[in-house]
Amino acid sequence: MHGVLRLKAKLDGEVIKELEPVIGYLHRNAEKLCEMGFYCDNLIYFDRMDYVGAMNMEVGYLEAAEKILGVPPPERAKWIRVIMAELSRLAAHLVWAGAYGLDLGMLTPFFYCFGEREKILTIFTEACGSRQETNYMSIGGVYQDFNEKIIEEIKDFLKTFPKRMEIIYNIYVKNDVFLSRTKGIGVLSRDLAIAYGVTGPMLRASGVEYDVRKAEPYLVYDKVNFDIPISHKGDNLARFLVRFEEMRQSLKIIKQALDKLPEGPYFNPKAKKSMMIRMRGDGEYYARTESSKGEFGVYIVGDGGVKPYRVRVRSPTFKNLSILPVLSKDVMLADMIAISGSIDLVFGEIDR
Amino acid sequence: MVDIIQESMGKDGRKIIQVSVENLIPLMNEMRSNGFDHLSLVTAIDRKDSIDVVYHLHSMDRNEYVVVKVNTKNYVVPSVTGIWPSANWDEREQYDLVGVKFEGHPNLKRLFLPEGWIGHPLRKDYDLSKVQYVNMDEDGEDYATFDAGDGW
Repeated sequence: MHGVLRLKAKLDGEVIKELEPVIGYLHRNAEKLCEMGFYCDNLIYFDRMDYVGAMNMEVGYLEAAEKILGVPPPERAKWIRVIMAELSRLAAHLVWAGAYGLDLGMLTPFFYCFGEREKILTIFTEACGSRQETNYMSIGGVYQDFNEKIIEEIKDFLKTFPKRMEIIYNIYVKNDVFLSRTKGIGVLSRDLAIAYGVTGPMLRASGVEYDVRKAEPYLVYDKVNFDIPISHKGDNLARFLVRFEEMRQSLKIIKQALDKLPEGPYFNPKAKKSMMIRMRGDGEYYARTESSKGEFGVYIVGDGGVKPYRVRVRSPTFKNLSILPVLSKDVMLADMIAISGSIDLVFGEIDR
Repeated sequence: MVDIIQESMGKDGRKIIQVSVENLIPLMNEMRSNGFDHLSLVTAIDRKDSIDVVYHLHSMDRNEYVVVKVNTKNYVVPSVTGIWPSANWDEREQYDLVGVKFEGHPNLKRLFLPEGWIGHPLRKDYDLSKVQYVNMDEDGEDYATFDAGDGW
């Protein structure tokens, strides 16, 4: 369900003694491709990293690229980006919620989740004409302004979604089989999580209150009011609960952002299309953002040319997957599937 | 105190510490005991005649970032996997794509590309015109070849 992961396991009966993930089957070397394109071109490779929540990847790249090029987005574009990034986070969490059910042998929530996700993708289509690899944001702003219809659609979605989400939530937490397969399985301790560089919902489920949106606010996250959900249990169920609470917080952010959305230009005139390929970047910048999977960092080194000298991506799932061999030592084979599902793997991002 | 070459401030407001290869491990040990418990990122940058390895260190409690840089001409850097386990895959990836040897790494194998791949793609002198094909042998191990007929 999660793409092209291959796991080599040494078994003793049904108990895993050693596990080695083999990755790289979706490797496209986006970092090299980024060195070959102009700053404005490289956005499309970021869409194709975490393809279930593409807007968050765009935010991450632009945070770094705009600082290197010196073209900050105007205020309205920042708010639009927050709305889109949070919708994208919802879309990504919905894919996870559906696929996790499939991992554990439940088929129903998958259809419910994708039905809801479809509504978000309709909003994306309205805004930029594309469902998944949106390429909506651009250097210095966004490609198109929000019109009345998009705002109406988002408001409709905010009205209907909370009820639907509680239905999906209840399908899971009222199911004894689900609880017995997640409660107390795959316990990740706080220190181990930090030592392995685990971030995102997985780290917060292990009791660390760390969210880049709060720790180092980017865009306008310091002007909206939301909480960081944490749990101290560190098991599969804790990760499940933290993600669902995050979805509720995302709805809160979108609601506030729609109310506060200011009037004004939606892109920086310094970054108009004819100028894009002539923009030169110098120096280095490391921007970190909170994607749906964890801390997504983009490190760009410029040499004063029109193309970046080196681009390096810190993908959260890459780090989160590296803990799987530790977590699945001496557990049953079927529990390993439950653990790997709870990590929220997206291979476009791991292999890059 | 470990000898450092230079200390400066980056564009992103993070302290950059430049250190020589010999002093890297003592400095990193000191950083770890100073509360930098999270190694966020290991980056190798090919500078054509030498290589930069950049470490982004982060302290979860104080929410503080520090950047440590080393420069080496012979593409060999000591591994920090013993200090932060998260460096394990990062260093394997940088070995795979840039070709830096991390001395003392427990399992320095290629991560994304198959064993036997020729060249390191993120080097500036990597030849992009040569196509390599990947196949799987009878033991299930991947290998690379220039011959199209052998691959798929």
